[in-house]
Amino acid sequence: MSLAIETKKLTKSYKTKGGGRLDVVKELDLQVEAGEIYGFLGPNGAGKTTTIKMLLGIIEATDGEALVLGKEAGDIEVHRELSYLPEKPYYYEHMTGLEIMEFYSSLFGKRDTEKCKALLERVNLANDMNRTINQYSKGMQQRVGLAQSLLNDPKLLFLDEPTGGLDPIAHIEVRDLILEFREEGKTVFISSHELSDVERICDRVAIINKGEIVQQGKLDVLLAGSRVELTADSVPAGIADGFKAMEDTTVSFKQGRLIMDMPDSSETNGILDAIRTAGGTIISFVPRRARLEDLFLESVSADNKVKGRKMGRMTIKDLEAEEAPLEEVKE
Amino acid sequence: MNVIINIARTTIGEAIRRRVLLVILLIGVLFVAIAPGLSVLSARQELTVLKSLTLGIIQLTSAVIAIVLTVYLIPNEIERRTIYTILSKPVRRWQFLIGKYLGAIGALGLMMTLMTVTLVVVFWVMKPQETTVTVLRELTLGPLMFYVQMCLLAAVSVFFSTFTQPIVNFFLSGGTYLVGSLFSSVLKTISENKDLPLAFKAVAIFIQNALPNFEYFNIQNPLINPGQQIQNEGLHYLNLAFYAVAYITALLVGGILIFDKREV
Repeated sequence: MSLAIETKKLTKSYKTKGGGRLDVVKELDLQVEAGEIYGFLGPNGAGKTTTIKMLLGIIEATDGEALVLGKEAGDIEVHRELSYLPEKPYYYEHMTGLEIMEFYSSLFGKRDTEKCKALLERVNLANDMNRTINQYSKGMQQRVGLAQSLLNDPKLLFLDEPTGGLDPIAHIEVRDLILEFREEGKTVFISSHELSDVERICDRVAIINKGEIVQQGKLDVLLAGSRVELTADSVPAGIADGFKAMEDTTVSFKQGRLIMDMPDSSETNGILDAIRTAGGTIISFVPRRARLEDLFLESVSADNKVKGRKMGRMTIKDLEAEEAPLEEVKE
Repeated sequence: MNVIINIARTTIGEAIRRRVLLVILLIGVLFVAIAPGLSVLSARQELTVLKSLTLGIIQLTSAVIAIVLTVYLIPNEIERRTIYTILSKPVRRWQFLIGKYLGAIGALGLMMTLMTVTLVVVFWVMKPQETTVTVLRELTLGPLMFYVQMCLLAAVSVFFSTFTQPIVNFFLSGGTYLVGSLFSSVLKTISENKDLPLAFKAVAIFIQNALPNFEYFNIQNPLINPGQQIQNEGLHYLNLAFYAVAYITALLVGGILIFDKREV
């Protein structure tokens, strides 16, 4: 499988007011395969948008390499094959949806009105294309954004918070569109805080915190259960009580039905045997898939803890301190 | 070229809908329209004063529009993130900057045309006897030279906007315009004064040469005073056009070089 994006030790640094150096993105190694939906996650100020801007060539990396569709990031020819939907995009309010599309279409050298109309139809804006943007809802504006990002039939799409702030219906519509992109063979690079969306649609994810990757891999592998859930019927109360003393195990027992949530360890077989021997019936025994939210919090919190930071989400003060830099370091 | 034209067109569309610019334009048009009612002088004096007053209103209004329009030209695009969507397309930064500049002077041209048309109509209606072909020529040539002046001012402002905040740019561009319009003769006097210290004169010469001389484009005196004549008009206006184009080119190239390296 060829790579749509590859970075090697990609770094972006700024000088701080105190004369120090702050690495907003630090030695980032990313490999995004062609045709996949890749989730790029991280708390505010983690370096997600900075990374995207470097990949688009909008800002220069301080150090490291970035290849996008096999060419150096920022190569103007690559821009013919990719597209970008920024977070909370703004469009010239005096223009209609169709005019916006025609404007962006013209930036590729040719104004293709028919294609613009077809794309607006695809995002369900056929009846609203002649209304000015200031009459559009947030969801409609986001759909215009997605439509404009398809003008050049891109091989690679960068979507920054594509479902942020949308109502549930618009949310689902946008999510479904992204899934369609994958079916068409496009590579989608999504930066998002909507973890449930990422969990549903992404093939692989990277979690970035304070400019560094703290988790990266296939979502199925990352979320694969290290725990199991067991359900059994006709279990004697004495047996169930015995399990309650086990470490890191949740036991629920009512009228002979036992439900246990426990680590998948070498003791598991012994537990199954004990239940059967006592006359119980195993109803189900399934590995429990972790939630992305748990993985995310665990990764970010653990990383912060290691670096002497408080657990959980960063405070506004932390973020402000990180976003305060501000002189670029040139190397 | 197509890309630049499309960015320019969009910029014009947006600029002519900006309320603050429309309010300034409306005030300018109103003053031009009511100017004849303000004059209480003799017929000969009245025409001279009226031409001077109305041309002055157009110049002042245009300068304010030019600065207000251009100081936000680039910062707004960055703040609203439209620049990211545009630059992620096959658009180079220089194309973006030139497109924005051309759009700004295009919008400025439309607004100044409206003021000039108002001026001509006002003279036609209020002074039908005195509005001869010569006067009409003067009433259009004056604003045309102001337009060249405003294109230069817009280039100054676009240059500053590539590395300053709008409010700082407002004072820098306004200051450059004031110094280049009002103090050019003072600077010339200082630089030619033999009694002043050399360092003082050197500073005056530097400012005089570094800043564009906006006064060159103010041709009110020869237009208003029949006693003053420009010898070889064609060559004079050609020189002025060359002077403006040279400065505009230098400012835009400087702006492009800065903007190309700027973090957005």
